[in-house]
Amino acid sequence: MNKQIFLKNGISNYKNIISIIIAFLVLAIFYILPSPEGLTHSGQVMIGILIMAAILWITEPIPLAVTGLLIMIIQPLLQLITPDEVFSSFGNQAVFFLIGAFILAGAVEKHGLHRRIALRFLSYFEKSPRLFTLGIMISCALLSFVMPEHGVAAFFLPIVVSILIAMKIAPKKSNFGKISMLSIAYGCSIGSLGTLIGGARNPLTIGVLSKLPEPINVTFFDWMIYSMPIVFIALPIVWLVLQFSFPIEVKDISGAKKEIAKQVNVAGKMSKNELKVLFILIFTISLWIFLSSHTYFGLAVIAISGSVLLFLTRTITWQDVENRVPWGIILLYGGAITLGFGIQKTGAGSWIAHTLFSTVGINPYIVILVMIIFTILLTNVMSNIGAVAILLPIGIAIAPEIGISPLLASMLIALSGGLAFMFVIATPGNAITYSSGYFSTKDLLKAGVIANIICIFIIFIIAVVYWVGILGI
Amino acid sequence: MFKNILIPISSEYYTKEVLKRGVFLAEKFKSSINLIYIIEEKTLNQTDKESDSYRTPYEIAETKNEIRQKQKQTADKIVFEDAKFYLKNNKIPFEEKIIEGEFSNVVKREIGLKDYDLILMGFEKECALRYRLFEEVKIPLWVVNKNDGKSILGVCSNLAPNVKVPDLSLKLSQTLNLELNMIYVVDVEDSVEVNEKAIRSDKKTEKDLMISAENFKNEIEKKGINIELLRGSFEKEVIKATEIYNPKIVIIGREQKKKGILGLPIKNLKRKLVEKCKYSILFLN
Repeated sequence: MNKQIFLKNGISNYKNIISIIIAFLVLAIFYILPSPEGLTHSGQVMIGILIMAAILWITEPIPLAVTGLLIMIIQPLLQLITPDEVFSSFGNQAVFFLIGAFILAGAVEKHGLHRRIALRFLSYFEKSPRLFTLGIMISCALLSFVMPEHGVAAFFLPIVVSILIAMKIAPKKSNFGKISMLSIAYGCSIGSLGTLIGGARNPLTIGVLSKLPEPINVTFFDWMIYSMPIVFIALPIVWLVLQFSFPIEVKDISGAKKEIAKQVNVAGKMSKNELKVLFILIFTISLWIFLSSHTYFGLAVIAISGSVLLFLTRTITWQDVENRVPWGIILLYGGAITLGFGIQKTGAGSWIAHTLFSTVGINPYIVILVMIIFTILLTNVMSNIGAVAILLPIGIAIAPEIGISPLLASMLIALSGGLAFMFVIATPGNAITYSSGYFSTKDLLKAGVIANIICIFIIFIIAVVYWVGILGI
Repeated sequence: MFKNILIPISSEYYTKEVLKRGVFLAEKFKSSINLIYIIEEKTLNQTDKESDSYRTPYEIAETKNEIRQKQKQTADKIVFEDAKFYLKNNKIPFEEKIIEGEFSNVVKREIGLKDYDLILMGFEKECALRYRLFEEVKIPLWVVNKNDGKSILGVCSNLAPNVKVPDLSLKLSQTLNLELNMIYVVDVEDSVEVNEKAIRSDKKTEKDLMISAENFKNEIEKKGINIELLRGSFEKEVIKATEIYNPKIVIIGREQKKKGILGLPIKNLKRKLVEKCKYSILFLN
C-alpha cells in the first residue's frame, strides 16, 4: 500500500499513536497492579477498560465504533465476561429500534419530506428577525423528535444559509447570522432529548436499563413524559440567551420571506411518495407512543414494522438503507452496552460508588448536581454517546448509595449528555453549522457556557421537583 | 509600487474593509486586483471527522457538497458582489476565482502562478486559520484592520536589516499623502544585530546596540524623517507606539526575533503583533 495513503487513511499521526499507547498502557497497569480491598481483579481490569475507552473516545485515534468493537472483544479476551454475554448485547431490542428509526429517517431524507416540513414551520415565523430565529430553533427541535439530530442540522444548514445569502448577510459579521446558525445547533441538541429517536444515547440508556439485574423498561411514551418538560423549558431560555449574547441588528425580514416562498415554490406539491412516508411516519410514531410497552409490541417490533411498510410501499430501497443507515452507531452501541454490563457484573461500579462516597460524603442533591455538571463537561469534549456510555454504569452504581433510583441517575446522564453547546468538536451539529462560517469558536463558547449553566439548573430542578417529587422515579 | 495585488478571502473570515482598501490602493498605484475566495478545507474536513460515526459516508458527502455549494453562493452573491460595488466607477483590472484548500497553501500556490507584489488580507483570531502565511511568504503582506489613522509608522530595530522600511515608508507617505513617523526599537530580550543580508550577529551588549541605533537615527534624520529611539521588548514597544502615533499603517521589516522574556524561544512574532495591534500592518518580508 502506498505509504501516503496509509498515513492518510490509517493511524495518521504520532498523536494518535501516542493516544493508543497510553490507552493500552492504562489497561496494562490496571491488569498488573494488585487490587485494593473490596475490589476484585476483574473489577479492577474493568475500570482499566473504562478508562481506556474514555481515552480512545476523547482523543479519537480510531473511529468511535472501532473503540466499541475493541471494548467488546477485550472483555472475553481478559476473561471478564463470556463471549455469549458480550454478543447478547446485540439481541437487545434497542438495537433494532435504532435500525428501524434510521431507516425511517432515511426515507424522510430521501423524499425531502423534512425540507417541506421545515419550510412550513419557518413560514409561521416570518414576522420579525427575532421570531424567525425562534422559528429555526423550534423547527429544528421538533424535527429532532422524529429524526437523528445530526441529520436535522445537516439539512437545515443549506436552508438557512440560502436565506442569509438572500438577505446579503455576510459570515461572522452579523448577529442575526450568528443566532440563526446557533439556533440550528442548539435547537437540534435540545430537541434530541425529547424522544428516543433524537440521539443514539437515548436508546443506549434504555438498553442499559433493560439489562440491569432488576430490569427497568422505559417505553417511548415514558421517555417523552420524562424529557419533554426539559425540552420545552430549555428551548425558549436558550433562545433568550442567544438574544442577549448577540443582539440582533437586522430589522427587515422581507429577504427571508421571499427566499422561503421561493424554496416552497421549488419544492412544489407534495409527491405520492412523500405522502406515503408521512403516513407511515405518523403511524409508526403513534404506535411507539401508545403501544411500545412490553405488554404490547415493544419498540423494535414497531420500528421494524414501519421500515417494512416503507419497503412494501416502495418508498425506499435497500440501496437507500445502505446509503443512510450508520452501522457504526450500532457497533458503538454494542460496545457501550457491554461496557455497562461488565462494570455491573464485576462489581467495579459499586466499588467506584462506595469509594467516592466514603471520601466525599453523601448528599443526594449535591451528587445529582455533580452528575449533571460532569456529564455536560464530558459531552462537550467527546462524543455524546461515548460520554453517556462511560458515565451511565457509574451513575447506575452510585444511585443506590445515595438513595435514588437507577432510572433517575440514567435520565440525568442521558439528557445532560445531549447538551453539548460549547465547542465545535462537541457534536456533529456544532461542526456542521460552524462550517457555514457565520459564527466563530468564541461565539459558540460565549453562548454555550451560559446556555450550559442554565441547562444544568433546568435539569436539576426538573429532576428534583418533577421526576422525584411528582413522578416519583 | 504595487502592480498586482492579491486579495485572499477565506470562508472562515470575510471583511469588506479588505476590498475597500484594495480598491483604494489599486487606484493610487494603478494596480490590478486578483480576488480569491478560499473554501477552507480544514473546516469541511472537521465536519467530516465529527460526523464520522454518526452519519454514513453517503450522508457526509451529501452535506459536504451542500456546504461547498453554499460557500460558492456566499462568494458569488456577497463577496464578489461587494467587490464589484466598490469597483463600479473604476477601471481597475479585476479577476475573481473560488478555490478549495488550506488558506496558506492556496495563497502560496497562487503567488507562484503570477507576479504578485502585495498580498492584502484580513485577520480573525477566533477562526480555524493558523496564518502560517505570515512567516512563509516572501512578498509584502498587508493585514487590514478597520481602525484608520492619519499617518504612517515605519518600524526599524536591531532585529531587522532596516533597508526597505525607511525607503518604502517614505514613498508610501508621499503617494498616500500621510505624515511619516518612524521608531527604532532596541530589543533587550534578543540582543543581536541583523545585517543587510538578514544574518543574525552574536549576542551584543546593550551599549553596542544603542550606539548602532543612534547611528541609524542620525542617518534617517538626515533624510528629514522624524525617528524615535525606543528600548524594550520589540512587540510591546511597537504596540505602545501605535497607540501614540495612531497610524493608518504600520510598516514592519524582516524582524528576526527568536528569543523573548528570560531568553525563551519566541514563535509567530508577526501573528502576535497582528493580534495585538489595532491598526493595519504591512510586513515587507
